[in-house]
Amino acid sequence: MSRESILNAVRKNKPEALPLPEIDLNVFAEDKDLVKTFIENVQFVGGRAIVLESTDTIDAKIKEFYPHASKIVSCTTESSLGNISISAATEPHGLESIDLAIVKGDLAVSENGAVWIEENDFTIRVLPFITNDLVLIVNKEDIHLHLHDAYETISKRDRTFGLFLSGPSKTADIEQCLVIGAQGAISLTVLIL
Amino acid sequence: MAHAQEATTFNENESKVNWHDKALWFVRQKRDKAAFNVKGWETLRDLASAIKANVMSNLDIYLEEFEANAIKNGVTVHWAKDAEEHNKIVHGILQKTNVKKIVKSKSMLTEECHLNPYLEANGIEVIDTDLGERIVQLAEEPPSHIVLPAIHKTKEEVDELFQEHLGTKPCNGDPQYLTDEARKHLRNKFLKADAAVTGVNFAIAETGGIVVCTNEGNADMGAHLAKVHIACMGMEKLIPQEKHLGVFLRLLARSATGQPITTYSSHFNKPAPGTEMHIVIVDNGRTEQLSREDFRASLHCIRCGACMNTCPIYRRSGGHSYNATIPGPIGSILSPGKDLTKHSDLPFASTLCGSCSDVCPVKINIHEQLYKWRQIITKDVPQPIVKKSVLKVTGNVLANSKMYDFVGKSSRFMLKHTPRFLVYSKLNTWGKERELPEVKNGNFDEWYKKRKKNE
Ligand code: SF4
Repeated sequence: MSRESILNAVRKNKPEALPLPEIDLNVFAEDKDLVKTFIENVQFVGGRAIVLESTDTIDAKIKEFYPHASKIVSCTTESSLGNISISAATEPHGLESIDLAIVKGDLAVSENGAVWIEENDFTIRVLPFITNDLVLIVNKEDIHLHLHDAYETISKRDRTFGLFLSGPSKTADIEQCLVIGAQGAISLTVLIL
Repeated sequence: MAHAQEATTFNENESKVNWHDKALWFVRQKRDKAAFNVKGWETLRDLASAIKANVMSNLDIYLEEFEANAIKNGVTVHWAKDAEEHNKIVHGILQKTNVKKIVKSKSMLTEECHLNPYLEANGIEVIDTDLGERIVQLAEEPPSHIVLPAIHKTKEEVDELFQEHLGTKPCNGDPQYLTDEARKHLRNKFLKADAAVTGVNFAIAETGGIVVCTNEGNADMGAHLAKVHIACMGMEKLIPQEKHLGVFLRLLARSATGQPITTYSSHFNKPAPGTEMHIVIVDNGRTEQLSREDFRASLHCIRCGACMNTCPIYRRSGGHSYNATIPGPIGSILSPGKDLTKHSDLPFASTLCGSCSDVCPVKINIHEQLYKWRQIITKDVPQPIVKKSVLKVTGNVLANSKMYDFVGKSSRFMLKHTPRFLVYSKLNTWGKERELPEVKNGNFDEWYKKRKKNE
């Protein structure tokens, strides 16, 4: 069995035990305007982020940004624009024609403009990738300074699938020209409450 | 063919070489900007290096911990000692689940194992879905860079390839049009695939989960649409705990492309209901590299490509000239470890300027390891007579400060006073392809002594 032979070879070849370093988070502490930095970083990675004054304006804003979206999946209570409902039994391939998906993010990271979303936030794993456009909603107080802080929160959970999503799908594979909209969602809007 | 010869071929098209050089240097500059923006960047690098050193020294323990947790999560774990076993395992899973079409997201490991030709020979359609990978797949070439697989291709070349294979219209290499067409083409493939193969960027011992990073979302499109997800990982991809991702994810994309993080950093912990998830842990020479004290740290590599973007040799010789899956500085350490005779020239494809080590996010002493390979190779592998004698002389000169001083003075003298046809002759390889520097009077040593006196 290869498993045993590999593990034995590792045991034989590995160096003397070295300690696991402690991470001193003080080194990375910064006094930053989290919302402002987050918005700048979302823009830097090709997305758009705005602060909304009240929850009531969510639908109007989304309509303003995506006037032509007709097939909409909303996985949040904050928006009532959803007209296609999905459940755990939905066949993922059927989501191919979705114009817009609206998902509530659990937390966001100011240093890189990423939003953390989990399978139970969007029910079908492929949804945030296969949709044409994507709207994420996050609360101001859920914006963390950097990834270290973010992991403190998400590591405690029992998870199946989740991701940091930062901006729309993009590629620079053709002569280093940045093109937005490769395989995943073509645009990303983050609404901050 | 040897690196120098391949590089000569690449250098025949001068404007393309200049373009290649500039394109990669641009990425290197983006990396610098991104790195300077992070408070505690050097601490992050130190941490990453120390975490990886800890992983290597406990690799067996972490591997067992990872395996146990992954199994608890409902994932099937396989072990492969070499490329052949890896390919057989993947094929076996596909056979069992009756799969005929797969989509693959970029994985240098499957490239290293030559998975595509193996599966294709067994009647399975394999589509690479990372745009750059798809481009080189259509061109029937290997990737020339680990992050930018098609960096050696101009947009006009891609235009032609797409016309031929995807039936696109001529577009003068419009990247937007080409990407849109590739999107349509690949969506169709994603929707029809029965299984998805992805790489693994990080595997977490504590949770049994894996993280896959892409900008295009292709790994996710594949893995979430297909019934079977096979993740292939080199055994060195392990990290102890999830909080360590905070360190590595902060370093990876900034070092690779200057982005603060990849667009998608997907954390797979459990398979979706009704689907299968497999992880293949691959050795393929890694345990052997672990035994080599001087080269062990090369296993710390997180495949960001920064050392390639900064390397003056790589930028001007192109990734294909290395004739190896992982080209550039880190590849030149890994490849001789696998086949010393075949790759004995690669450690010499370096100026030893140290730029690779300076940018490496996990602080691998790349240039020192290259120098160490040179020492082994000049001892053990027969060298062309010229290189050997030059190296011997260089070695003697460097070892003797009086001699170094003398040679410096005399070569400056000679450069200044030798007729041009001699400096740029066939006998002087350093005059080939480059203008030698204009000679100023004096050298650093003299300048330094003068400065001291004036203090
Ligand atoms: S050796 Fe360092 S710089 Fe080069 S690819 Fe690996 S991690 Fe990046």
